[in-house]
Amino acid sequence: MATVENGTEQFDLGWMRRTGPWNTRAPRGKHGLTLADVAVGAYGEAPDESDNQTGRPRGAVARPGSYRIGGYAVRSKSEIWLDNASFLYEEALQRQWSSATDVPWHTIEPLPDDVEQAECQLATFLTEVEFVAGDVPARWVSLTTPDFLEPRQVLLAQVMDEARHMDVFRKRALANGGGLMQATGATSGFVGGIDLSRDFTEMSSRLHVSGEGAVLTLFRMGELMAQNEAEKVIYRLCAQDEARHVAFGIMHLRYMASAAPERREEIHCYLDEAEAGIIGAANPVGQLTPTSESMAIILGGGKANFDDGMNKVIAIRRRQLGEYKKRVISAGFGERFENGRSGVDRMIDHAA
Amino acid sequence: MAKALAFPSVAWFDAVRAVFNSDERYRGAGGGRCDCVVGLKIGEAVFVLAFEGVECVSAVAADDAALVDVDFFLAMSAEDWREMITNIAENDGADLHHTLNTLDLARDEGLAASRHGDQFREDLFFRYNQTLQFFFDASARVKTAVDNGKLVKL
Repeated sequence: MATVENGTEQFDLGWMRRTGPWNTRAPRGKHGLTLADVAVGAYGEAPDESDNQTGRPRGAVARPGSYRIGGYAVRSKSEIWLDNASFLYEEALQRQWSSATDVPWHTIEPLPDDVEQAECQLATFLTEVEFVAGDVPARWVSLTTPDFLEPRQVLLAQVMDEARHMDVFRKRALANGGGLMQATGATSGFVGGIDLSRDFTEMSSRLHVSGEGAVLTLFRMGELMAQNEAEKVIYRLCAQDEARHVAFGIMHLRYMASAAPERREEIHCYLDEAEAGIIGAANPVGQLTPTSESMAIILGGGKANFDDGMNKVIAIRRRQLGEYKKRVISAGFGERFENGRSGVDRMIDHAA
Repeated sequence: MAKALAFPSVAWFDAVRAVFNSDERYRGAGGGRCDCVVGLKIGEAVFVLAFEGVECVSAVAADDAALVDVDFFLAMSAEDWREMITNIAENDGADLHHTLNTLDLARDEGLAASRHGDQFREDLFFRYNQTLQFFFDASARVKTAVDNGKLVKL
């Protein structure tokens, strides 16, 4: 701030002496200057417990008298951390795509009415659930101390991904002579319940591992069912994004399993709830829902071949459950499949 | 006129790598950073591709034991691989029935698998699917002869 003394303007340059660790020269790696590259010295040290309630960037000098702005509930590292967050963030940045220009919309052509209605029902459902998938991580970003910037950044990238998913399925519904169908209500069940989570790990196990794992299968199935190149691209690119979100959840659970073993039973309870949701109407590959019927119509090539299509849905549902089981094992909670606690094996056996 | 390269062979994969690595279009539109090691089981033949950053940095011939270490591998009969490569060559990219994901879900035994069983690593097939599709679609720009000597792309 400039002051005037004896008619001469004087500058207070005291701010120049208040720096974080200086002479920092983060080395640029072969993939550019990544978030991992700048995690050097104290700048890379996330505290086990954070008292940062002022929005101070990690490594910056604290400002005396700063008022509290965040009300950050997540200030314990084990609550949100994962080992590869920087990597996932850079991957998210570099693998972005545009729903306006990277989808070959010109390849969409008129479809039989029943197939178009089924496509639009799926698009309606996906637009609906992606609202939740965007809203929930956004809320947790705002609750997390800036000291845990790496997972925050991944979650922010996820919000962008989900925003794109919301718009691309809206575009699909409105692009080919159809429109949005009746909302499925999925957001009032298991999916909507994700936002009632009181704890980040509870949210992540529901959203990233079970919810997005299930939707990942749906996106892959969408690519299989696609009637044109535009739908192929939409579903393939959405599946990529979703797989990245699933990876976040697995890595977070792995970290929790090692850093906070006292919470293992609690996490098993979250997985119990998630598995109960897998068989419900919120699971798009579940039984007797507008979405599973829609998929059967598309996979069968029309209402006339509904049974053939449903058989394919069931086969993919088995694969969905098998992948979920292997993800939970990968996350470090495989004992639930050995001790009889999980019903997933029975679900696989009786998928129909 | 370029000589047709036999599929499958290291020379063929190197030619595809050269096309893939030099075309910046494959780095956007959902492509981009990709770090994984992919096995290819083509009948009884095994190849290993390494992706690093935005490039496929190596392609080597290997044996079946190498499939233990890769993140995931794509396995089909030699005939099915030839059909996919021929389809890509004829359509300048896979048609609706020959994309990697479609082949994976349409087959009872799947296309992507692993020996380690770690779904986190198997999920890399999904996370990098567009890059892998770009890679194989790039083969449409390589003059290819399938291993019975039939030319699939002039």
